[in-house]
Amino acid sequence: MCAQSITSTKEAKWQKVLYERQPFPDNYVDRRFLEELRKNIYARKYQYWAVVFESSVVIQQLCSVCVFVVIWWYMDEGLLAPHWLFGTGLASSLMGYVLFDLIDGGEGRKKSGRTRWADLKSALVFVAFTYGFSPVLKTLTESVSTDTIYAMSVFMLLGHLIFFDYGANAAIVSSTLSLNMAIFASVCLASRLPRSVHAFVMVTFAIQIFALWPMLQKKLKACTPRSYVGVTMLFAFSALGGLLSISAVGAILFALLLVSISCLCPFYLIRLQLFKENIHGPWDEAEIKEDLSRFLS
Amino acid sequence: MACSGGGGHGQPSSAILSPVTPGSLSTSRTRAHSICMVSDFFYPNMGGVESHIYQLSQCLIERGHKVIIVTHAYGNRKGIRYLTNGLKVYYLPLKVMYNQSTATTLFHSLPLLRYIFVRERVTIIHSHSSFSAMAHDALFHAKTMGLQTVFTDHSLFGFADVSSVLTNKLLTVSLCDTNHIICVSYTSKENTVLRAALNPEIVSVIPNAVDPTDFTPDPFRRHDSVITIVVVSRLVYRKGTDLLSGIIPELCQKYPDLNFIIGGEGPKRIILEEVRERYQLHDRVRLLGALEHKDVRNVLVQGHIFLNTSLTEAFCMAIVEAASCGLQVVSTRVGGIPEVLPEDLIILCEPSVKSLCKGLEKAILQQKSGALPAPENIHNIVKTFYTWRNVAERTEKVYERVSGEAVLPMDKRLDRLISHCGPVTGYIFAFLAVLDYLLLVFLRWMTPDSIIDVAMDATGPSGAWTHQNPDTTQRVENDEVLDTPR
Repeated sequence: MCAQSITSTKEAKWQKVLYERQPFPDNYVDRRFLEELRKNIYARKYQYWAVVFESSVVIQQLCSVCVFVVIWWYMDEGLLAPHWLFGTGLASSLMGYVLFDLIDGGEGRKKSGRTRWADLKSALVFVAFTYGFSPVLKTLTESVSTDTIYAMSVFMLLGHLIFFDYGANAAIVSSTLSLNMAIFASVCLASRLPRSVHAFVMVTFAIQIFALWPMLQKKLKACTPRSYVGVTMLFAFSALGGLLSISAVGAILFALLLVSISCLCPFYLIRLQLFKENIHGPWDEAEIKEDLSRFLS
Repeated sequence: MACSGGGGHGQPSSAILSPVTPGSLSTSRTRAHSICMVSDFFYPNMGGVESHIYQLSQCLIERGHKVIIVTHAYGNRKGIRYLTNGLKVYYLPLKVMYNQSTATTLFHSLPLLRYIFVRERVTIIHSHSSFSAMAHDALFHAKTMGLQTVFTDHSLFGFADVSSVLTNKLLTVSLCDTNHIICVSYTSKENTVLRAALNPEIVSVIPNAVDPTDFTPDPFRRHDSVITIVVVSRLVYRKGTDLLSGIIPELCQKYPDLNFIIGGEGPKRIILEEVRERYQLHDRVRLLGALEHKDVRNVLVQGHIFLNTSLTEAFCMAIVEAASCGLQVVSTRVGGIPEVLPEDLIILCEPSVKSLCKGLEKAILQQKSGALPAPENIHNIVKTFYTWRNVAERTEKVYERVSGEAVLPMDKRLDRLISHCGPVTGYIFAFLAVLDYLLLVFLRWMTPDSIIDVAMDATGPSGAWTHQNPDTTQRVENDEVLDTPR
């Protein structure tokens, strides 16, 4: 396109610089065009079983929701006495509490600097408040139709699953929102139970399974991965067993869901990696890799 | 303002038209084109794209073409304005959506744009900036009307996140029909070719320019008892202000005779203020706030070293301006920056505090030992690199090539859209192109081209505004100088 003399083109070598007038047309495409293009430099190689192991977090959370709903159903049908659930819940909480410190030899506690007395206090305050307010919880949603309550609970539990912190570094993750949604669902469901003591036990159980249990899981996963796999399996089977006692079809569907998440999805992830074409080059925005906050602290 | 100034001061026209590139002496003057620059970004908004459009238009007018500019209304600046040398600017009443870019429905701008294209007898549409919705609209409508199109891309984009995937798809559609694309650096060309899946042959690299007469060194303005580092940029993440907040304490502790002058405004200003507060550097780090373009030179000449910490940059005019003022430039090695200045005028560093500090220390040592060339010498080298006249000349060649190309008939255009943009997007936009065409047919039926008045030709070969009347030119230029930067 340029009318520049082509005579010196053969001798002159094209340079990727703008400040020199080069004997090439402006739309000249050199052999070096795109030579700095890199593909998939940050692509991660996944190991199948590692992905399966990581997927157990999702399995755990699905099972938690399942167990919660099953327990609620038993309470609603009157097949499960609230005292019995409260007793079991309290016992397993105590066991979990002890385990929580045993797993890492009390290091986490030392780091946070939290005393046992503080734990006891907050537990007592929480139980007392929930107990005191349980009559209110019981009648809170009386004017709302039961269908609405069920629909709302389903949405809230789905939201809990969506926003839960599975360890991904994404904008959507919000453990506070996730926990709040689960507790809201539990309050909704608890208000449909026959008596206020039922509501109290239900909300307490929700706290145990949605707030405390994931904390213990996280620690288990970090410190003793083997036992974590065992616990996950056990938990999944008990959730399936509970569901089976209510609905066989539901149990089969749930089992299929669990299998597809833990086995098929990792397989797909690894297969789809082959089609990954992530382009990098000098045009990419540079990343600041250092921690710059040290200059301000 | 290279060309306007030259024209305004009544230089003989032979000097104005002197070719910049050796060997490109235009023996046969190319024919005059009627060019319409379209972009959401124009004065009174300030920035690189704005001044690029203005300077390029002025130089094209000087070379005998007719140029008009179309942008959206800025506040009460709407309607038609004339700038220096009869450069006509249309400020269209379109709604601004985000960041001075208009909202697009793809169709609502057709009646107005068609009216302008017809009454100005436009032959080439030249759109600027991929962030401008109006620029893309104009490309789309121009193709429907069978006009030739050129697009200048001023920015770099990534490929990794969702937003860039979507914008890149839109760019593919928009540029699939465009005759020729201009990029400001080779890196930008590679980026655009990949983003829009283009044939690299239709992408030209024409760098930006700076007016060397606006950026002259003035060694007496700086104090040689201390060393001053100047930073002029918007204080935003992409310009690497976070890196700057790490460099300042690091170097100030090491060199007691080091000062910083920081010009520019932005959301990241707060972290610089925090750093200044925490390390008690109030007398050594001066934050000037927003600078007008005409003040930039006066800030630059107060320093010895210019620091650029950008994380991404297609061309980076700032380092050329600084080098033109005779400063030693230290910059991050990102985007098109390595192409801009020769190695002896710039110290390139990795985008990290450590590497930038190392580069700055090297520059400081050179300054202290007097190893750096005199500002005047640097200026004399840099001023030959980038001139608007050269840019205009090279852009003219693009116009020349484009005007010789055949306009694709509708069916071929649809075929290309479908085959080039993928099965889903291709069909959607082919459908939209058909709708656009039907709308155009309707508009032509409502107001036939023949009854649209032809606008008075202010510039161009038969223009009412001639170079033979330097008095008027001078006066209006002064008016505009007072009027434009707001």
